[in-house]
Amino acid sequence: MDNSLKISGMEKSFWKSLLFSLPMILITFMFITGGRPNFSDPYEAIALLSVFLLVNILFFLMHFSGKTDRYRAVLFILFAFSLSYTLIRNMLEIRHSMSFSQADLLECKIPFCHLVIPMMILPAAFTKSIIFPGSIISGFANISSMVVLWITATIVLGRGFCSWGCFYGGWDDGFSRVRKKPVIKKINSLWKWMPFAVLLMVALSAALTMLPTYCDWLCPFKTVTEFEKVTSVESAAKAGVFLTLFGGLVVVLPVMTRKRTQCSFLCPLGAVNSLSNKITPFTVKIDKTACTQCFKCVEACPLYALTKEDVNAGKVSVFCSKCGKCVDACSKKAIHYGIKGIPAGTMKSFSRNLFLFVSFLFMAIFSSGAIISTLQNLLKLIF
Amino acid sequence: MKKIKIIGGITWAIACLILIIILFPGLNSFSASVSRLPFMKINPRLSGGEIAYEIVAKSCTLDIRQPVFNGLFKERNSGFVQIDWRGEVPGIIKDSIDFNRDGKKDFCIIVNRKESKTDLFAFNSKVRSLIISTPTSYGWAARVELVK
Repeated sequence: MDNSLKISGMEKSFWKSLLFSLPMILITFMFITGGRPNFSDPYEAIALLSVFLLVNILFFLMHFSGKTDRYRAVLFILFAFSLSYTLIRNMLEIRHSMSFSQADLLECKIPFCHLVIPMMILPAAFTKSIIFPGSIISGFANISSMVVLWITATIVLGRGFCSWGCFYGGWDDGFSRVRKKPVIKKINSLWKWMPFAVLLMVALSAALTMLPTYCDWLCPFKTVTEFEKVTSVESAAKAGVFLTLFGGLVVVLPVMTRKRTQCSFLCPLGAVNSLSNKITPFTVKIDKTACTQCFKCVEACPLYALTKEDVNAGKVSVFCSKCGKCVDACSKKAIHYGIKGIPAGTMKSFSRNLFLFVSFLFMAIFSSGAIISTLQNLLKLIF
Repeated sequence: MKKIKIIGGITWAIACLILIIILFPGLNSFSASVSRLPFMKINPRLSGGEIAYEIVAKSCTLDIRQPVFNGLFKERNSGFVQIDWRGEVPGIIKDSIDFNRDGKKDFCIIVNRKESKTDLFAFNSKVRSLIISTPTSYGWAARVELVK
């Protein structure tokens, strides 16, 4: 009797999840295939179909299982890997090297990424110009498109951009999942303010030098994208800095701590996005009446965004990237996705479904191009 | 008040949903609008500055750009001038440049493209040194350091 009830409950839940996934299936079909699937290239067709299925299976499972982070992470990590793979492959085809030359700089041919945005603001305000050697509107990763994508995602998701839209975050998210238990358990949580210091430093130095100093000197993701050709002591020093930061903050520390240390301790855009958490309607809420203060959520948070004090106060901090790890960790469902204005502990399912639809849709469409291209290329390499 | 807050929150959340749905189909048009904003142009320190004048030869064109001295609040004391050779650039380039258009040649630049060697001869005390001399997709480009 119990078993049949369980099965019928699961069946009901299955159909409910499928119904909930239907709009995502239709929208992603339109965006991924452009509404007119072209099956003339079998590799492209397989890649396209695989990504379409993967995206929708992940979204379905999020609803069906009630878990968020594990399915989000699959697409998020895949996005980071695919974007780097596609970018490196393109550069090797065009330039035969991952490094860019002085000519690329002079001709403003450097692909733009959202990490430049914090450095652009002061020069744009005072000199009415952009301090990045990229293309304003034409070509791959142009400045205008990236600005539009980032502004919209930031208004809608706040710091959620760091877990649902950033094509670099998947690197340290991936490495933070390598070990089952952390080797380093305690890091002073004051370090989480470091991105604000980095933000201040790079914003001022970029304004004074009129150069994107973070990209020039600090960005660890040059390791997996592109970097200045080593032709002098200065360019060798720059390479040393970004390789060390990548090794330390993106690989070693995430493995040792099970936290996203680059996002927590360095990224200046993360600091800007933290401030935008005040605008977004979506948030993570703590229902103090249901909370047993086990603090599993504090332990699970990959960004040091949640402290015991926050849990006791029933509020998450501005550092929250809405990745869903804390929500998944809470057996009492005391911590949950919410919408501003709706009291904690109420309309949980509605709030979660609306947030997941918005955030997952953004990630699915934003990431699909890079993942399809990577898969298509890998298929061609293998067969 | 509580109800108003709830309705406000849900309305804002639904507006965000609509924003995300229209973002990707409208991306080209939104980007084009953003690109027309007054600050959406590359800083001359990176783009090399506006073309001041050009000299057309048989097979190639020489572009002399405006000297760039710009800073955050005011012009700086040091800057550069960029010159571009476009088209079928000869193996050895030798050009004398009057960057400030006062009728006097300010420097002479000799580029040996095969050996990637560039020599600069300054005739004006404001001309300092060669910053960059590099092949480009359109020919060759050089930046020469200037002081005010």
